[in-house]
Amino acid sequence: MNNLLDPAAFSPDRHLLLVIATPLLGALVAWVMGSRGLTAVRQSAAVTATVTLVLAGWLIVRYLGDPGSEAALPYATVQLPWLTQGIFDVRFSLGLDGLSLWMFGLSALLSLTAVLVSWDAVKDRPVGFYVLLLVLEAAMLGVFAARDVILFYVFFEFTLVPLFFLIGIWGHEERRRAAVKFFIYTLTGSVLTFLGLLAIVLWNSSHTGTVSFDIQTLTTNLANHPLPMTAQGGWLQMVVFLALLAGFAVKVPIVPLHTWLPLAHVEAPTGGSVDLAGVLLKIGIYGFLRFSMPMLPEATAVAAPWLFGLGAVGIVYGALVALVQTDLKRLIAYSSVSHMGYVVMGLFALTPVAVEGANLQLINHGLSSAGLFALVGMIYERFHTRSISNLGGIASRAPWLTVLFMLFTFSSIGLPGLNGFVGEFMILAGSFQRAWGGVAPGLQTAYLVLCLLGVAGVVLGAWYMLWAVERVFFGGSREPPRGTAAGRHGHGADHHGHDAGHADRCDLRWHEVAALVPLAVFVIWIGVAPATFLEPAAMAVRDTTHDASASFAARMSAATPQDQVAHAP
Amino acid sequence: MTTPPTSFESFLLLGPEIALVLAALTAWLGGAFLGLRWGWPVALVGIGAALGIARLQPATAASAGVTLDAFSGFIRWLVLVLGGLLALVQSGDLFLSASSRGPGRHRGGTCEEAGTFLVLLAGLSLTGLASDLVTLFAGLELVSIPTYILLALKRSDARGQEAGLKYFFLSLVASALFLYAIVCLYGLGGSTDLGTIAARLREPAAAESLRALIPVALGMAIVAAAFRLAAVPMHFYAPDVYEGTSPGNAALLSTLPKVAGLVVLARIVSLSVPLELFWQAAAVLAAVTMTVGNVMALWQRNLRRLLACSSIAHAGYLLVGVAVAAAATPSTQQPADPAAAALLATSTLDGMSATLFYLATYAVATIGLFGALAYLGHRWPEWTSGSGPRPPLEEVALVDDLDGLSSTNPVAAFAIALFLLSLAGIPPLPGFWGKLSLAASALQVDWTAPVTFGSRRAAFVALAVVLVVNAAIAAAYYLRIIGAIYFRTTKRGVQADGGLAAGVAMLACGLIVLMVALQPIGLFTVASRAGSSMSRIVSGNTVGYVP
Repeated sequence: MNNLLDPAAFSPDRHLLLVIATPLLGALVAWVMGSRGLTAVRQSAAVTATVTLVLAGWLIVRYLGDPGSEAALPYATVQLPWLTQGIFDVRFSLGLDGLSLWMFGLSALLSLTAVLVSWDAVKDRPVGFYVLLLVLEAAMLGVFAARDVILFYVFFEFTLVPLFFLIGIWGHEERRRAAVKFFIYTLTGSVLTFLGLLAIVLWNSSHTGTVSFDIQTLTTNLANHPLPMTAQGGWLQMVVFLALLAGFAVKVPIVPLHTWLPLAHVEAPTGGSVDLAGVLLKIGIYGFLRFSMPMLPEATAVAAPWLFGLGAVGIVYGALVALVQTDLKRLIAYSSVSHMGYVVMGLFALTPVAVEGANLQLINHGLSSAGLFALVGMIYERFHTRSISNLGGIASRAPWLTVLFMLFTFSSIGLPGLNGFVGEFMILAGSFQRAWGGVAPGLQTAYLVLCLLGVAGVVLGAWYMLWAVERVFFGGSREPPRGTAAGRHGHGADHHGHDAGHADRCDLRWHEVAALVPLAVFVIWIGVAPATFLEPAAMAVRDTTHDASASFAARMSAATPQDQVAHAP
Repeated sequence: MTTPPTSFESFLLLGPEIALVLAALTAWLGGAFLGLRWGWPVALVGIGAALGIARLQPATAASAGVTLDAFSGFIRWLVLVLGGLLALVQSGDLFLSASSRGPGRHRGGTCEEAGTFLVLLAGLSLTGLASDLVTLFAGLELVSIPTYILLALKRSDARGQEAGLKYFFLSLVASALFLYAIVCLYGLGGSTDLGTIAARLREPAAAESLRALIPVALGMAIVAAAFRLAAVPMHFYAPDVYEGTSPGNAALLSTLPKVAGLVVLARIVSLSVPLELFWQAAAVLAAVTMTVGNVMALWQRNLRRLLACSSIAHAGYLLVGVAVAAAATPSTQQPADPAAAALLATSTLDGMSATLFYLATYAVATIGLFGALAYLGHRWPEWTSGSGPRPPLEEVALVDDLDGLSSTNPVAAFAIALFLLSLAGIPPLPGFWGKLSLAASALQVDWTAPVTFGSRRAAFVALAVVLVVNAAIAAAYYLRIIGAIYFRTTKRGVQADGGLAAGVAMLACGLIVLMVALQPIGLFTVASRAGSSMSRIVSGNTVGYVP
């Protein structure tokens, strides 16, 4: 133990391995603790998640203190042979860089939240629940740390399995359908993504002679000999881009492929929703940033206007659908669709400001949606309904719950001073920048309309969120009919009878506070000092999108004179 | 190709097979004196002895009619390991049937079954070793005939009889077709030795004169192999036969004949027939087989029917690698520039290796699955004390019968989920590594050529897409079973009365699956060595005996 803490021996790569191994060890401990009952299990899960969070936070601090972080170099690189046979070289290689840093931290943070919000909600088969939650945490940390294509895919798929069981066993009424739909949708997309990744690897091998699966090597090599983007080369780059898109677009989800999301979210247990909304949706965007953009820049440039448009459409569509929801959890699920639309829009605006904003918005949405889902879960635990029309006047009985809900709502709708504002502002600013000066004249109107749709989404977002808050938290106290609620749930009668005296039972408990306050801290911190979070990622984001935006600019300038010639007479 | 070895050396090469046959004789004869229970223990000892003898043998050797190389060594090991696992599954079923009197169960005859099973293993192992058409056919028949007996011995009810007869007649057709294929090949090559035939086919003049025979021979051989693989167009028997027989026999049918079919196809690939039609047929059959199997499986409610359809689909996956190997034979693919040729030579992702790797992962998961079903045995019927006398226990047959297994039998539930996820190809389980190598090998065909419509490259890219899409379709019905196990509850618990040996087989398979999941490199190395030894034969360095 002593030499483990010795800075020389406790090198960053060991530190990283330890972060990913801790949840797995904790899962083992929780499993062993199973015989000692619910309390022991959830305590060991909470301790594990806390330890992981501390270790991950410490690793991030170490990374930020490292001189290489300025240049967004990979940090804490682990390289172990795994499936190395002849020229076929799959490695167990991990590492952090500017792109993955915050998502890595967010995964650790939200996993603690997920454990704590399940504290009272999960009483049925708790061992399985917490073991799966911790395995899911390890898989999420692994996805963002993986530096090898196969390893990435392994973790990517492996996030599905625990969540499938979490939804299917501990979910709500339609849980089985939701679990299967979620799994099949994501799997169908991701197997195509997998073929695309394989094609990239083989293309590289046909030029270098070694079958390397290392992401860094592939990125460098593909810049030197890109996949063909001509009819003669079979539009291979576009084909591969579409294959990757299939998986990432389902995961995000980009709008026509979003139908699994509301169902999965609504049926998932709160802990599962927190991880799903907070982290798993981001893997799609991360995939675009990590693979599509740097490896397939020309195809990205071709697809960018379409995806930009889909993003904008998704914002408005998600917002409009959210507006008419009667179920609070479903409303927040659709708000996720809308907010992920912003991220897609920012990403494919392909201006530095927009992409950096999109990358920050990943974190912002992770914090606010996870917070909101957690709070909806807490409301459900108290009132046994998620129906907006059955709720009302919660503010007077649970003021702290209300305050936190308001905070995450404001974060979600982009109130200046909180994190959501920074991200949305940067995305919209970058998109307008693209629309004014960066596209061919023929596309300018379309881009402007799409940007305006994005702005309209901000207004709609404020409308549906604040309207929901007003109906749920303010106004007269409304609840499901007393007889049924009190009859079914033991503690119901007692807090209906002595409303004032038992306010503390209705308001947040310690573990709920512990689940939410860290998120709230980051919501405010990012809002006040966004540069702290933007800077470490900035260089990596610029590097990764550089080729794609250069290629986009080239396409646009190539289109411009032709258009002018065409429109001249 | 030194001096022709004496046939005594052939006998030494066949040591493990001889050990199996001796064990079979012991079981048959001993059964008369020792009683019913000793058949399967004798079988296990025999398989152990065969494994021991196989260890002592040289890595490569050749003799009249048989060749021992990495490929046949791999097949032999695979057969013996699978044989051991299957023996456990089968005996689990039989210890019980000797002692209890369940409905529709066969009592007695365990020693006969064990002996027959050992002969089957010896035949299958011989198939892998055969470098001569006659030996190959003899090996295949040594697989087929014991299979009929096992199917007929197992069940005495109408369904079991139907299953046995159906299999018997179709298998006869397949054998006859293969015999015709052999005759054609003999006519083409003027020899029964595969190396000689391959050499003759490569001579342009000789091939010219008898060209018309090649597609006929290939077609019949493919159909014969398709029967053993349960691939389209000879797939339709599988659901009925699996449903009609016991879980142990279903495990046997879904694995061992597939090994035989694959060996036949590998041997045909090794002839390197200069014919585009071969890989095209294999690719089309692969695509159709996996799609048909998976779509059929979506509608099944009976577990054994469902797994039969899934085994059809997996035959399709296996054929992908065969198609790749057929397309990559040197006679049809001559890379223009030396760099590409060098890359091709160093490539370890050849189709045959991928198929062999996949075969091993599939077989272990499938045996584990049927082992689990055999172990679970029966469950309580629906019955309340007011509704008359208690009906007899029901066999676990439907997907619904597994409802709530996670609470009544968590170990079996976990093992079944593990096998199903592996079959579905969820990383990092072995099925994933198998599909990875298959898809990679398909994408690698003609890698430097552009993807133009109708080109070979485009065909294999399409095949890879069909493969992964099918993997997603398959996940739907595998998840349905997992859903039943974990997401539903039941009042009618399973009995787990199928015998402990089947449970041990299930655990052993689970252990193998986990080991390959964490360290696929071991199996991968062996499979790629076996596959590339096949490609060496393809490129002309036959080790076979030429008279």
